[in-house]
Amino acid sequence: MIIEKALVVENLKKNFGSFEAVKGISFDIEQNEIFALIGPNGAGKTTTLRMISTILDPSGGDAYINGLSIKKEPVKVRNLISYLPEEAGAYKNLSGLGYLKFMANIFISDRERRKECIETAKELSGLKDRLKDRIGTYSKGMTRKLLLARAIMTKPKLAILDEPTSGLDVINALEIRRTIKQYAATGMTTLVSSHNMLEIEYLSDRVAIIDKGSIHEIGTPSGLKQKYGAQNLEEVFAEVTRK
Amino acid sequence: MNKFGTLLKKEIKELLTLQLVLPLLIGMIFFVLVGNIIGDEGKKAQGQQTIALIDNDGTKTSGSVTGILEKNGFYVDLLKDNDVNKAVETAKAEGIQVILSIPSGFEAGMQNVVPQEIGIYSIVRNLSIFSSSGSSIGENAVSDINEALGTGLIKEKTGLSDSNVSELKDPVSSKDFIVVGNNIANLNPNALLSFVMSQTTFLPIVIFIVIIFASQMIVVAIASEKENKTLETLLSSPISRVSIVVAKMTAAGLVSLFMALVYMGGFKNYMDGITGAASTGIAQNPNITEVLTKLGLNITAWGYVLLGISLFLSILDALSISLILGVFAEDVKKAQGLIAPLIFLVMIPYLITMFIDLKTASPVLRYLIYAIPFTHTFTATSNLFLHNYSLVAYGIIYQALVLGILIFICTRIFSTDKVLTMKLSMRRRTHAKNA
Repeated sequence: MIIEKALVVENLKKNFGSFEAVKGISFDIEQNEIFALIGPNGAGKTTTLRMISTILDPSGGDAYINGLSIKKEPVKVRNLISYLPEEAGAYKNLSGLGYLKFMANIFISDRERRKECIETAKELSGLKDRLKDRIGTYSKGMTRKLLLARAIMTKPKLAILDEPTSGLDVINALEIRRTIKQYAATGMTTLVSSHNMLEIEYLSDRVAIIDKGSIHEIGTPSGLKQKYGAQNLEEVFAEVTRK
Repeated sequence: MNKFGTLLKKEIKELLTLQLVLPLLIGMIFFVLVGNIIGDEGKKAQGQQTIALIDNDGTKTSGSVTGILEKNGFYVDLLKDNDVNKAVETAKAEGIQVILSIPSGFEAGMQNVVPQEIGIYSIVRNLSIFSSSGSSIGENAVSDINEALGTGLIKEKTGLSDSNVSELKDPVSSKDFIVVGNNIANLNPNALLSFVMSQTTFLPIVIFIVIIFASQMIVVAIASEKENKTLETLLSSPISRVSIVVAKMTAAGLVSLFMALVYMGGFKNYMDGITGAASTGIAQNPNITEVLTKLGLNITAWGYVLLGISLFLSILDALSISLILGVFAEDVKKAQGLIAPLIFLVMIPYLITMFIDLKTASPVLRYLIYAIPFTHTFTATSNLFLHNYSLVAYGIIYQALVLGILIFICTRIFSTDKVLTMKLSMRRRTHAKNA
């Protein structure tokens, strides 16, 4: 039995007027894999994730999630994915629990499964009694934990996480990374983006180095380090983009 | 609850915040209080007026002036001291607004048919509408004196009876009729205008405020979703884009209708205070409603239904335009400025229909104003009073057509990535940095 790839990206392009934000990139992700797009600000990471999340329409190429085209079947694709935008906020007048219930209602029709997901999210967020408070009273770290819990509570076929620890302090970032790693181990394919190479080295099974809208290298962190004789991914990135 | 219901509930919760409800309640209380204060002040201004009287003549004729004034509803304070400065001091101390000064030689002059001049001193304390009624009190008093003394003088000189003198002084009288369609009724046009104004003035004001509030709500809601990136989460979730658009519009529409009801209550109280004080009993005349019914000048139950439909369509048109404008908003701060074009679109028909009859305006102006969908709600009230149902119905059809086009544009925008890129394309360089 051939197991379908979780994500196949084929020559994906995005232009904003005459500006080419993404210049025909291709890569694929295996089931239950954590795959990372790494690159500096403006490299095309967010645009790529937004296209895969069906928010932006590709200017060329296509991507397939469990075999479904993001261009031809975006509505079906949305049932398989969960997207966490970079530095996203939540509805400030809702309580943390109210927000989780709202999103669970949007994603899941089955009542029992919805209850399970909300319980999972409560656990994952680690916010305990603060879940009853308005989100407007939360710190940045608390909001991010709530949003991450929301994004992965439904155990999507593909979780798309854009800069999940951006702007967080060391402790909060560490907790977020742990949660992603632990939950992915239960069988969730994850596509994550970051400009923090060390974070990605810890998190991901494979990485793609993206810069100026093009992918320059794909491989495992250890394989890339070995190939370029580098101590860490930052050195790999510097070497790859220097060429 | 289905997905649309969940979304609608969330939208209403987001809109019905303390920040919205509190100013609404304060506004309502303000209108009720101001209406009551104006009403009380108006009644005071129209109540029995006191006049201070200086009699420099001291004759039988000048002495009769007190009786004439009291007979005409004034309270007269006859001053013992004839010095004007002292009279002013007394009037100020006693809160009297008007002093009349009868000159010496008043009686002799009248007997010789030489016109006499009574001095009117109106004490100005402030420049409010009701305080300015002081000047008219003096004029009314002198008019009453003229009437009484003039009649007496003519009787004395000619030997005519009271009724004959009256016919001699006013040989021509008038009887007012109003013609509406094929109906004719005996009524003064000013009385009609006052009554209709008292019943309809507040409605365009409420429509104006509600449209502006509703538009602001939805523009800020969209801008806030974009700024917080909650819109991106929604757009990537398994809920239809049409549901997102319709839920936002329905929630804002329902909240706006709630606001309209609250404001209508507040404004009605406010206008009742003003018109109740200013309308010298015309609007309270029970016969006027009978006369208006005879003329067919009343809004029927069917008329109110049409008015409600027109108002709701105006709100939905405004919300659709705001939704499109909101897509351009980069953040909540800039969103406020984006509704400026909409404010003008509402303000232009509001002001123009208040002052001119569009049917008599130049064709270019008329069609330009009719092209604005909100115009048809502003003109609906007067058209319904005149039973011009076809005009109101055409207006509703036009508003519905505009709404259809706007909703089509909204759903097209939300169905593509334009909902994000319309902003992004304006800030391409910034986007490139973040991509």
